[in-house]
Amino acid sequence: MGLFRRERPFQPIGDDTYRVNVPIETRRGLLSLAEELGEAQTGDRPELRRLFPTAYPDDPERDAGFQIFARDELIERRKEAIDVIRSTVEADTLTGEELSAWMGIVNDFRLVLGTMLDVSEDDDEIDVEAPEAGAKILYHELGQLVSAMVDALMTSLPEVDDDER
Amino acid sequence: MAAPLEVSDPKVDVVVDALADEDRPWVVIVWNDPINLMTYVAFVFRKLFGYSEAKANKLMLDVHHKGRATVSSGTRTEAERDVKRLHSHGLWATMEHDE
Repeated sequence: MGLFRRERPFQPIGDDTYRVNVPIETRRGLLSLAEELGEAQTGDRPELRRLFPTAYPDDPERDAGFQIFARDELIERRKEAIDVIRSTVEADTLTGEELSAWMGIVNDFRLVLGTMLDVSEDDDEIDVEAPEAGAKILYHELGQLVSAMVDALMTSLPEVDDDER
Repeated sequence: MAAPLEVSDPKVDVVVDALADEDRPWVVIVWNDPINLMTYVAFVFRKLFGYSEAKANKLMLDVHHKGRATVSSGTRTEAERDVKRLHSHGLWATMEHDE
């Protein structure tokens, strides 16, 4: 990368296309996290609860009915998104839809990791001696990636006036 | 004047209750969580509901500071659809009857 060319990790280059300036090792690492998530999501570990939220917290019967379809839909959507990551892991550019698939899975993995770490808001301090230090560093790095993906995709959202709603 | 029709069949009552239930509007609520990034939450509101940046940010800040915000409303079917879309974006959304 040249001295005068400082691009974002996901640089919008117009026409709903984004140039990927993330090292290939990082992308392969994300793919393996994504595949881990894909395998884990059909299990029943309590750390996965954020992947399948309740819709009717005060009505367990109704929620059970909701979950019958919602759970399978969420599992299927994630599988499709992981397929997108697998097929674009070395791509130089991504479409908005492909980048959204990456963002969704990275965010989902971060939800599970954050649940496992039992993080709280403004949980910025990392004790490097602690056994979970590696997982916490990963958690923060995934947050930076999600943030960069949001910054990129935000540029494609239409400008909306409040009066129109 | 005829007396009002007494409906005493419990099965009919159940049906009438269910219909009244469907007619009342539902609201979709997003709850605060310590994991999702603030910019991500605001982005999802803009993407899913077409809200302006200002409105999406206000809703996101409501979630952050008040613990919850109502992000949409409608029939039960519409609310379930929105809840599913929010869940598929990793947000903690529930639905309830408008008070």
